[in-house]
Order: sequence, then structure tokens, then C-alpha cells
Amino acid sequence: MYRLHAIRKRYGTKTVLEIDSLTIAAGRLYTLTGPNGAGKSTLLGILAFLSPPTEGEVYYAGQRVDWDRGSVENRRRKVTLLHQSPYLFGGTVRANVAFGLNARRIKGKEQRRIVDEALDTVGLRGFGERKARELSGGEAQRVALARALALKPDVLLLDEPLANIDRESATVLETVIASLPARGTTVVMTTHDPDHPARLNGESIVLDGGRVVVPAP
Amino acid sequence: MDFLVASFGSALRLIASLAPDLVDAVRTSLAVSAGATVFAALVGVPLGLLVGTTEFPLKRAAVTVLNSLMAVPTVVVGLFVYGFISRQGPLGALGLLFTPTAIVIGGTLLAAPIVANYAMASARGADTRIIPTALTLGAGRLRAAGALVAEIRFGILAAVIAGFGRVVSEVGVAMMLGGNIRGYTRTMTTAIALETSKGEFAFGMALGIVLMMVALFVNLFLNVLQRN
Repeated sequence: MYRLHAIRKRYGTKTVLEIDSLTIAAGRLYTLTGPNGAGKSTLLGILAFLSPPTEGEVYYAGQRVDWDRGSVENRRRKVTLLHQSPYLFGGTVRANVAFGLNARRIKGKEQRRIVDEALDTVGLRGFGERKARELSGGEAQRVALARALALKPDVLLLDEPLANIDRESATVLETVIASLPARGTTVVMTTHDPDHPARLNGESIVLDGGRVVVPAP
Repeated sequence: MDFLVASFGSALRLIASLAPDLVDAVRTSLAVSAGATVFAALVGVPLGLLVGTTEFPLKRAAVTVLNSLMAVPTVVVGLFVYGFISRQGPLGALGLLFTPTAIVIGGTLLAAPIVANYAMASARGADTRIIPTALTLGAGRLRAAGALVAEIRFGILAAVIAGFGRVVSEVGVAMMLGGNIRGYTRTMTTAIALETSKGEFAFGMALGIVLMMVALFVNLFLNVLQRN
């Protein structure tokens, strides 16, 4: 799905990411671990096409990424990033889950069906008309995941989705995330929990000081 | 003291009787202020959002200029526009001087920096996750900007109302560019200045009361929005 070659990301004179080679295969789940400042979020930003590397080449689905506005916007429609502390827009849960669908001009009954299905998947059936800002942290994280799942992305990038949420929400999210590769979605997830790779039946990539110290098998 | 009390009573009677000159001045004031506010919003909101959300060379200088423009005296704006639309000016042939349109032009120049600064402050204070969230959900730049505007809509509305407050209460531009023509370009503020100088203190006071009510209403509305 991705192939990264000689990637460097610098902020000013500081190099925060230095990856000579990394391959992420389609339809698999990867956990990205490493200490704070290891470059995990920076790498996710590059994989999400939100921030280009300072140097190096990224190949997505076999094609070299040029980072021009048009192609980046097209690729962002296939890749969704879920932040550790996701932002929910003001308004209802339904409006939030529908945001990306509106951007893809999916409206009306079709939109309603997809939103209901996505909320159902994360165990929030009937939450559609609730105000998004009144949800608990765990519920908000589940809505954010539903919002991402509604888009049926080829790649789902998750930045510590299970940190600081209640146990029930964490269990639901883990189950849903673990089921995604079987549906053809590639998952890359940062985590501090060393048990996650085994629990989620995933492969582990370890970063330290911006370098890959343990590559995926 | 008796003079003030008597004038205040007369002013209230003038307001209650909806004296035609008073109604005309109020109507003209509100119309030109609304027009100038619309144009100021069309210019100021996008400008404020652009400066507030993007990084570019000389951004600090641009912010300083925007801030400074808020403090430009109204008569200086009047003088500047007068130079363009007076008979000898480059736009003199359009015959805009001493028309409501001239006041709208001057008012737009007065209000746009205020709207831009308020909009910029709102955009800077907005949650930094809004744009990345919209982008990662597949929104284009325009839709992402729309999401930002929707999230800070109360701040944007406050910006527009502050612009209206600036225009409706100023006198320099309305006097220099409108000419204070009765029933045509006479606004509340120019009428107050004129009537008071003529000795019609009660009439000036009546308009002052209406103007204060408008300002009070605008500020109350602004406070409600800021609490949200």
C-alpha cells in the first residue's frame, strides 16, 4: 500500500524523522510504537498526506506521490486519520459522521443508511441526534471512528485511539479495529501498549529518535 | 438642570411622535451602515481568516497594518475617499460625492479593518484540529475553510456587528462624503451635530437617545454572542 524511501522530515534544523525504507502492505494491521518524540505522529501525518516529507519519496498504491494539491486531495479521500483527541464539529453526532460523506456528495437516504451503519458498528445505535459536544471521551472517540469508517477508507491511520478512554469504549474500538483488515482496510495505529500487536493480530513497527529500529516483518 | 430635563422630555416626545426628520435620519443611518457592513464583511471576513490561518512572509507586518487601520480617524478616511470622488478626483465623473453611496464607501473602509481583525482573532483562537480534521475526512480547502467558519460563526458574527457599530456611530465620513443633506444623506450623527449647533438641543438629544439604543442593542447582542 505504501513504500517509503529515504524519507527525512525536518522542522528548521531539527530532523524528526529519518526512514531509509519502510513498506506497509495492503489489508494488514500495523502498530507503531516508540517513546514520545520518536516521530510516530509525524509519520502518520505523512501517511495521511497532510504533511509532505522534507526529502524522500512516498509511493502509494504503486504510484509516486507528487504532493501537488490535486493528487493529495484525491488520496486523502482514500486515507483517513483519527487523532488521539479527535475534534468533533458542533452539532449532532449524525452531522459529524456525515461530514466526509457530504464532501463526497453522498446525500439523502444513502447517507442516512451509511451513518446508521457506522454508528451501529461502534455500538452507538440511536446516538445520531445527540449533541456531539455532550458525549463522554470514549463515546466521542467512537463517533470519530464511525466518522472514519463511514468513508470506507482504504487506509485508516489511528493516533493512540485507545488512550484515555473508558474500558467499554476501548473494548469496542479494539474489536472494530481488529476486524478492519478482513474488510480490506489497511490499519496503522500508534500505541504505547506492548500487548496491542498480539491482541490485534497485527505487526509491529518500532520507531526511536525518528528511525525505524524494528521494521515490520 | 431644568434645561436638560425639559430637553429630555421634548426628546422623548419627538421619538414617540416619530417626527419625520428624525425617522429620516434614523432610516438613512441604518441603511448606509447596513450597506457598509455588508461590503466590509465581504472584504474583512475572508481577509481576517486568511491572515489568521495561514503563514506567509511579512505576516507580522500585515497584522500590524491591519491593527493600525482600526485606529485611523474617520475624518482621514473621509478625506481619502473625498480625494477620489470629488469633482477633480479620478472617480469624480461618477458623481458619488454627497450621496448615500459615498457614505457606504467610506463606511466600508472604516469597518473592514475592524471586521478583519475580529475575524482574524476568532480564527487564531479556533481549535487547531478543525482544518486537519476536515482535510483528513476528504474535504477540499474550500470545504475545510467552510468548516472553520461554521465552527467560529459566533466570532464572525461578532466581527460583523463590531463593524456595524463603528459605522453607525461615526460622524466624520458621513459629514464629509454625505454632505448632511436633509432627507437624503443626513444620518443620526450628522443630524445631532447640525441640530445642536442650530440650538435644537432636544432634537439632537432625541437622535442621541436612538443612537445610544442602537449602540446598546448592538453591544448586548455582541455580549450574548461572546458568551456563546
